[in-house]
Amino acid sequence: MSELLEVKNLSVSFRTPEGELQAVRDVSFCLHAGEVLAIVGESGSGKSVLCKSIMKLLNKDAYVKGGTIKVNGADITGYTERQMQRIRGKIFSMVFQDPMTSLNPTIPIGKQIAEAVRVHNPKMRADDLQRRVIELMELVGIDQAEQRSKLCPYHFSGGMRQRSVMAIALASNPQILFADEPTTALDVTIQAQILDLLREVQEKLGTATILVSHDLGVVARVADRVAVMYAGKIVEIGTAEEIFYDPRHPYTWGLMRSLPAYAQQGQQLYTIPGMPPVLIDPPAGDAFACRNEYALAIDYEQMPPMFQISDTHFAATWLMDGRAPKIIPPIGGMCHV
Amino acid sequence: MIRKNPYIYYGRKILAFALSVLILSVVVFYIARLAPGDPLVSYYGERVERMSTQQRQWAEEKLGLNAPIYVQYIRWLQNAVKGDFGISFKYKMDVLEVIGERLGNTLILGGIAFVLIFAGALGLGILCAWKEDGWLDRCICKIGTITSCIPEFWLSLVLILIFAVNLRLLPSGGAYAIGHKNDIGDRVVHLILPMTVAVINHLWYYAFMIRNKLLDEVRADYVLLAKSKGLDKKRIIFHHCLRNIVPSYLSLMAISVPHILGGTYIIETVFSYPGIGTLSYESARYQDYNLLMVLCIFTGAVVILFHMIAQIINERIDPRMREQEIVDTTEVTEIG
Repeated sequence: MSELLEVKNLSVSFRTPEGELQAVRDVSFCLHAGEVLAIVGESGSGKSVLCKSIMKLLNKDAYVKGGTIKVNGADITGYTERQMQRIRGKIFSMVFQDPMTSLNPTIPIGKQIAEAVRVHNPKMRADDLQRRVIELMELVGIDQAEQRSKLCPYHFSGGMRQRSVMAIALASNPQILFADEPTTALDVTIQAQILDLLREVQEKLGTATILVSHDLGVVARVADRVAVMYAGKIVEIGTAEEIFYDPRHPYTWGLMRSLPAYAQQGQQLYTIPGMPPVLIDPPAGDAFACRNEYALAIDYEQMPPMFQISDTHFAATWLMDGRAPKIIPPIGGMCHV
Repeated sequence: MIRKNPYIYYGRKILAFALSVLILSVVVFYIARLAPGDPLVSYYGERVERMSTQQRQWAEEKLGLNAPIYVQYIRWLQNAVKGDFGISFKYKMDVLEVIGERLGNTLILGGIAFVLIFAGALGLGILCAWKEDGWLDRCICKIGTITSCIPEFWLSLVLILIFAVNLRLLPSGGAYAIGHKNDIGDRVVHLILPMTVAVINHLWYYAFMIRNKLLDEVRADYVLLAKSKGLDKKRIIFHHCLRNIVPSYLSLMAISVPHILGGTYIIETVFSYPGIGTLSYESARYQDYNLLMVLCIFTGAVVILFHMIAQIINERIDPRMREQEIVDTTEVTEIG
């Protein structure tokens, strides 16, 4: 199996006045060519930081504490800014959360896309460049590309801006696309369009995609595999089917039960009690233990390892240990038992 | 979208301008005449002391100083509207002629200082933003803050002491040595010290603004996207960020004109540089009413004018306000 991206034991911390904030803690995963991996979790669980740290887009107070990042087998962990510039856009690129602010307000869209094409193709002729820009704009579903390429971002609606951002991200045919909550800042009606576009482009170009989201509905629509993050760690990872039909981690159960689709008529929507921990001096055991109604004594003392459930499905909870008491999960658990 | 009628818009501005200048003239006229001092001294010099009461009265009547102030003002205004601003008591020449002789000198000093300040501030601001929080940036920030706090007159005196008195390298004042009025080299030598003071005093203020504006831009989201495209820092700062601070930089320049002009006045006085700054100081000191009026109104008009220009630039910064482009979008959406 070809591993496009391989992240091993990655830890990323921020220097803050209160001390070290461990935003990403010992995360390992890999991304296969052509698949969509979704990373879900609450705000502050480290999803965005994980993506940005792979592309080295974090600002100076963040640093990689340990672990390795391999792209196409090459270790890029220690790459310098100059080396990163050469692979950003070409190997991987990113779509950001808020299209209202992620485009330069004073430069016409066409020029911003052209810039992204030319940076890895400096010798391209002007008319080829123009053709490529139009082609990209059409690829992401902006019609009348010719005229619109001359407009500035403020002429565009949120959805069109996000399409433009995607055109920029795809300009140099990257192998990996990070989509950092690409639909959060958009209208609900536009969200579906952008997701469909993401999937469509991904299928057309075969770009492997990492989709960061806090919305399980979004994830169910496009993802091949899902990783659930909590307090800077991946607590469960598996194929979309495994995660949605056979979740094993209590946190995943909590997320599922919070979905409006799971609520019974007349009942209040479920919420996971408590708050996620602050990641300056995180708790010793399972960070989720104090919010977990199925927590075991060991959860408070020792971090659970990743238990393998199937070839593709892993979960980090002591409930998977042979000695753990058998419980009836609130949802799922029908597939592999 | 409010569409402004340009005639009404600029008409209003012109009206406001005229009104401000008028109010300014009333205030200056009254303050000058209410301030203690004897204007006759500037016209007759020492002779005033030996004048009899009758002679004084005759002299005051001749210069039009015996009427009540509001009558004097109305008389002055009537003449001013016709373009006659009276004569300077001290120079016994038409006021405009006196100013005309000096204006060129001030424009040379102020104009070159202005260009140097803004070119330097842009360069320094970019350098600091580029090296943000590095040792170079920190040193420049500290030194800049200190230098911009030094008062102009003090710095002038210290520089005169060092370079003119002790080292005898540069002249201590004036715009040219006697008999060298058209000698450019000589003028440049005379400009070095006043120019240094003007630049040192204002440079950091603007450089720091550019540094901070640029750093705000560098932290903007679009920089992250530009970075993720694979662009390098040079292209991001010069092509993306700088472009977005240019409009506010322009309006900053317009606002700064009166600021730098005011500084030039002080510097001129210390270096006895024959510009309109020295002239204003003299005219206030010697109760040279007519000269003082014109100088104050001229300076005031420049200040008001450039503030208005800055305001207009500020209103136009937002490209969304430009009518033509609004039409553009509607066209496209209609087709779509």
